This record gives sequence, C-alpha cells and structure tokens, in this order.
Amino acid sequence: MKEDVKVLLVDDEKLVLRSIEKSLVRAGFDVEAVDDVTAALALFKETAASDAPFDIAILDLNMPNFEGYVDPTAGLQLLSKLLETQPGFPVIVLTAFDEVERAKDAVRRGARAYFVKGREADLIALVERIIQA
Amino acid sequence: MDESKLAERRAALLHAGALVSRSITSILDLDTLLHRTVDIICIAFDFYYAGVFLLDETGEWAVLRAGRGEAGAALVAEGHKLQVGGRSMIGAATGRNKALIALDVGNEPVHFKNQYLPLTRSEMALPLSAGDRVIGALTVQSVEEAAFSEDDITVLQGMADQLAVAIQNARLYAENMRLLEQATRRARLLMAAADVGKNVTSILDLDELLHKTVDIICDAYGFYYAGVFLLDETAEWAVLRAGRGEAGAAMVAEGHKLRVGGQSMIGSAIAQRHARIALDVGEEAVFFKNPHLPMTRSEMALPLVVGEEVIGAVTVQSEQEAAFSDEDISSLQAMADQLAVALHNAHLLRALEAAHAELVRTKTFEAVATATTEAIHWIGNKALPITVSVQRLREDVASLSGVEAEIVESMQEDLTLIEASARLIILVKEHLIGPAREYIPAPAMIEDVVKDTAQVMGIAPEAIHFTVAPNLPLAVADTTQLSRAFRYVLQNALEATEDLLTPRIDVEVDLVEEKEMRYVVTRIGDNGPGVNDADLDKIWASFYTTRGAKHAGLGLPACLQILRQLDGKVRARRRPEGGMVFELYVPAYIGQATHGPADLPAGKRFLLVDDDDVWSRFVEQTLTEGQNTVTHVVDAAAVEDFAAFDIIVVDDVLATTDSLTVLQQIARAGAAAKTVVVASSVRVERMMDLLRFGVRDVLPKPYTPAGLVERLRA
Repeated sequence: MKEDVKVLLVDDEKLVLRSIEKSLVRAGFDVEAVDDVTAALALFKETAASDAPFDIAILDLNMPNFEGYVDPTAGLQLLSKLLETQPGFPVIVLTAFDEVERAKDAVRRGARAYFVKGREADLIALVERIIQA
Repeated sequence: MDESKLAERRAALLHAGALVSRSITSILDLDTLLHRTVDIICIAFDFYYAGVFLLDETGEWAVLRAGRGEAGAALVAEGHKLQVGGRSMIGAATGRNKALIALDVGNEPVHFKNQYLPLTRSEMALPLSAGDRVIGALTVQSVEEAAFSEDDITVLQGMADQLAVAIQNARLYAENMRLLEQATRRARLLMAAADVGKNVTSILDLDELLHKTVDIICDAYGFYYAGVFLLDETAEWAVLRAGRGEAGAAMVAEGHKLRVGGQSMIGSAIAQRHARIALDVGEEAVFFKNPHLPMTRSEMALPLVVGEEVIGAVTVQSEQEAAFSDEDISSLQAMADQLAVALHNAHLLRALEAAHAELVRTKTFEAVATATTEAIHWIGNKALPITVSVQRLREDVASLSGVEAEIVESMQEDLTLIEASARLIILVKEHLIGPAREYIPAPAMIEDVVKDTAQVMGIAPEAIHFTVAPNLPLAVADTTQLSRAFRYVLQNALEATEDLLTPRIDVEVDLVEEKEMRYVVTRIGDNGPGVNDADLDKIWASFYTTRGAKHAGLGLPACLQILRQLDGKVRARRRPEGGMVFELYVPAYIGQATHGPADLPAGKRFLLVDDDDVWSRFVEQTLTEGQNTVTHVVDAAAVEDFAAFDIIVVDDVLATTDSLTVLQQIARAGAAAKTVVVASSVRVERMMDLLRFGVRDVLPKPYTPAGLVERLRA
C-alpha cells in the first residue's frame, strides 16, 4: 500500500535528506530524494506526465533558490511552482522550530502542513494522515 | 646785629639754602631725600638739629620721617608724631600752614619739650606745602638762644618749599615706580597664564594634563605649590587629582578631598564660583591647615568653570605672605579658565573614548553572538538526523536475533548516550536561534504574558506569587520572545528551589522610570541558594552554568539577548533575605490605540473561552462597548450550542482545561471555522496541533483594541 505512495523529498542538507529518506523508506514509502530545487522541479514535471506521478512532496524552506543563492524562501518558491503545475498537490514544508510566520506563509501559499525538522518519527504519521485525507 | 653782619648772615643763609636745594632736588628716593636733607641743613646752617615730619594718611598727625643724628634716629624708631593743630611748634605750623619761631623755647607755649633734644634753645618750624596743601613740616633747632630772626624765615621757608617740591617729586616717582612694577607684574602673570594655557591645551590625556598642569603653573609663576581638584560624581566633594611634588603625590595617594561649600578655600571657591585669597593663611578663617604644606603663607583658590558648570578648582600657594593681590585674581583666573577648558576637553575626549570602547564592546559582543549563533545553527542542523538515526538503530537492535542480551543492552546504552548528546546540541541551537528570529514587537500586557508562561510551564499556583502594580501601561514586546525570556528565568527559579521544603517564587510587575525612560519591570525572585557575588557577572555568558553538566548555561544569555532585542534590559541581584531576583525591563508603550471600539464588528455574538484574567476582561469590555454580546466561559464543557455564536475566541492557555480539549469540542460541533485561537507565545508545533482542528487561525494575542480589530478581521 505504502509502496504505492510516491514521495518527493527536497532538502539541500544531505545528511537530513538521507535521514528523512531512510525513515520514509523504512515506513514503506517510495521516495525520490533531491538536494536542489531546480532538479526537484524538473523531476516533478517529468513524473507528473508519467503514469507514476508523485503523491506528496516534502520540502525544506531554506535552500539555494533557482538562481543558486541560499534563500530562506527557496522552498516557498518551489512550492508555488509545484502547485502551478498541479493545483491542490499535497505538500509538507520543513521548518525550523520557531519559524511561525514562514510556516504560516507556506500554508497560505497552499502547503498542507509544516513540520519541524528533527522529529521525523511524527513525520510518517503526518504523511499518512495527508495521503488518507 | 649791624647791617653788614645782617647782610653777611642772609647771604650765608641763602647760600646754605641754595646748597640744600641743589643737593636734594636730584634725590628720588624719599627716605634718602629726607635723611640727606636733615644732614645737609644742619651742616650748611650749623644747626643743632633738623627733622622732617610728613602728615599721615588721615592728615591728623605729623609723623617724624627723618631726624638728625642719634636723637633723630631714636625719635623715628619710636614713631614720634605730633598732632596737626596741636600744642607743639610742628602741630601749630602744620595746622596754620605758617612758619613759627621760638627763640627761647622755654617761653614758647606751643613748644613740646623733647627729652632727646635737651640743648635746644631756639626752634623754627616751617610748613612743607604742595600748593595750598600742607604735606608736613621741617623743624630746625639751635643751641643758641634767639638764633632765628623773622627775616630768616623767608630764606629758610624758600628752602623748605624746595624740599616740599623734592618730596612731592620723590613721592610721584615712587608712585610711578609702583605702577610700573604693578604693570610689569601683571604682564608677567598674564604671560605665565598664556604659558599655562598654551602648554595645557595641547594635552588631551586627562591624567597627563592634570599632572603637567601643576608643574607648569609652579614653574611659570614660581609658586611653592599648585594642586588641581575635580568634583566627584556626587558633586559634593572636590577630590585632589594632581598636586605638585611629593606633598601632592602623598595627598593624591591619601585620596585627599574637600567638601564643596565646606570650610576650606577650595570648598568655598567652588561653592561661591569665585576666587578666594588668603594672604596670611593663619588669619584666614576658611583655610584648611595642611600638614603636607607647612610653608604656605598665601593661598589662592580659583574655581574651574566651563560655561555654567563648575568642574573643580585649582589651588596655588606661596611661601611669601601677601603674595597675591586682588589684581592678581584676573590674570590667575584667566589661567584657571584656560585650564578648565583644557580639562573639559580632556574629559570630553575620555567620555568619547569610553563611549567608543563601549561601542566596540557591544559590537564585539554582537559579532561574537552572531558568529556563535551561526556556528551553533550549523552544528545543530548537522545533529538533527542523529536522533532519528538512533531511533532506527534502536528498532534494528531490538529486532536482532542470536546476539547476547548483554551486548544488546550495551548497544542500547550507547544509543541512549548518542541520543542525549544530539538532543543537547539541538537544545543549544534552539536556545541560541530563538531570540534572533521573527521579532514582531507590539503593545503587550506583561502581567498576562508572565502568567501564561508560568501556567504553560506547569508551575503550581501555590508555589508562585504574583504582585501587579495597578494601572500599569502596556509594554512593547514580541510576546513570544518575551515569554521565552520569562521561561528561562522561571526555569532557573524552579531549579533553584526544587530541593526546598517550601519553595517560593515571587513575581512582581511594576512601572519604573530610569533616565527618562519608562519600563514595565518584571521582578522574578526565588528563595533558593542564590548565586555567589563572584559568579554574578558570569551568569550572562554563554555556556556558563552553576548547576552542573545537565545545563547548557544558555538560558540567561538567551534572556539577555531577547531583552536587548526588545530595547529593554535585564539585571540580576541577590535578595537581602536570600535567593536571587531577576529584573526584566521592557519599554513601556507610549503610543495611543489607533482603532477604538468603533472599528470592531458590531452586533455580533462572541463566545470567549478564557480564564477570568486581565486579558479576558479587556476583550470582554472592548467587544461589549462595540455593541457585541460576549459570553465568557472558562471552558467549553457547559456550552450547549456553538452555532449560537458568530465568532469564537479561545485562549491557548487555560487554567482549568487544555485548549486542545476545547477545540475538539468546537470541531465536533462543526464550529472550528469560526474559531480564532490566540496565544501570548506561539510555537510552530503547538500551532500545528491547534490548526489540526480546522480553526480559522492561530494568532498572537492582541492587547489593544486596534490589535483585536486586526485579529478578528484576519
């Protein structure tokens, strides 16, 4: 069942990326881990047209943006582009523990939820809840 | 006496008179003139005695200024004087401005019998006049009876008139010399003042300036001693900052100081803002006899004045009696004024340097804090996966088969150690990042924020005591950040009192004014063991802790950083009764609420779920004034029909229940979409929990009508 759920995971922190990927894979999800927004958008667009599109995306916020500069809104920019490509697509954003306003901004732009990094155990439950909704 | 003898005698007298006149007119020193005169008269005329009297300043007495021989010297030494207009020959001559002759002195009624001149048988007294004014008289005496005739008067009076002119000349000369000397002295003093000014104004180092100044003054004026006093911070004491020589060094080392307005010359010169002179210091009532300066016989104290401000005083002292005159004040004060300006400049420079040093310290602190924050953020991010990896390893270890239980146990223990270390790193990151992020200041009720914080921390109501001053203004703060600062201090208080039988935390909210700023101050005190004086300064440094390894020592530094970000301040002190008190100063809100109740929704039915506290009373009152109906409940258990309300407002922090429970009830009743949750401190995870119920929004608590309008429109 979970193997059928395809997750796009984007974070430039390779250790975090691999760690979350392992947790999701262990929980049974099909995960594509990407460490930059440009590659992530390309992959998303490519698979959107295929017969195995992504079911959900998990994005970090603070990453190099499409111009390659570190930007605290890079994740938000990617979020907007994903939703342009596929309106209503479920996205979870990863935030630091106290970035309340940025997290709310993500939700205003259409993210389904935001998640504080470093507590990935709860992330599995959140992904499941969103997929089932 | 026949005609020829008479003519001969007159010729001899005229000759003698001319000789006397010639001899005396060129003498410019008065004393020399007078002494030479009496000698020449006696020699030329062959008189027994001659003496010159001059009137004193009062004009009432004729004082003997020169007399012939030993008799004359003895009389001068005695201060021999005769009353003008009195019974003596001199008295009568000066009184009437007329020459008198006594041919047999025993028969002359106005003659004063003089024991030093027992042989006198004839005397002539000749007035000395300058114009119409009598300036003295000349006495000439002979051992012969009837030695003088009326005719002699003309000749001798001519000589006396010449003498009077010579006396006037000598006096004018003396006066001219005095004026010249005075002008020279004044010029010298002004030159010395200019010297001091030139030398001191180029010295900008205060200590160097003070010490060089006293040397420069002493060298320029030739004074025995000079010292510079500056007022202390209280302006009640003048403290000796530099003094000439060993005496000065000893007094500075002793901390020599004099009370402003006290009995000393310095004290009174500063208080009265004008120079004081003591010419013989033994006579001067206000002089402070100084054992270090036993030779001082004259002292001048000059105030150091810059604009309206007296900054101290300078003392100059001389070994000579009457070394200073009133006329010296102006030149010495000119010097003191230059000195005051130089001192003021040096003071300003020092203040500027201190301000610059403070700026450098602050900037350095900020740079270090920023660098530390960046570094720890980076490290913290790297540590984030550790805990999750540990979690996965735990599962893997648990599922291992065929491994000895002992080894599994050891592996589990290692994983616990790794996880604990990773959590500490993440905790450090969150403490240090916390204050820097998303700072949104707004007017806030400090009482509400600190009470909410204590409640969220689960501090038992009996362990914490609140005292809130009435009519407190709002303060300007980001309440999420401020709540974090309160949490750190309250956590400290909790830990400080955890081993006590009767732990007690006192929270006092008050208004204070400091340096024209108004602050709402929150004093959080505990009855714990307190911090040693030696450690008191260190508690604000990152990673410093007095509580052992389980503490990262970051709470108070983070608190300091938060309060600085709020333009406030934080102080720690020991309580006299034991324990610590932390004072958190937040600037009072001075603005006005721009939106009144008129901008609020009107005619709406509100359900307010909150404790009965200062915030709920504010909301209730504001909404009611705006023609709304407000139903205020402390939990939602008794609410039967959520549909009866247009808007539901829930405080995240509730005393009797958890807001999540309330939201569950609301969501179940299908009223979540019209529900707004407010919180004095908002965290992402909590917000996520709250939003999960589908509420309209989770917002920072508003504390002004304007803020309430904004939240309800959101």
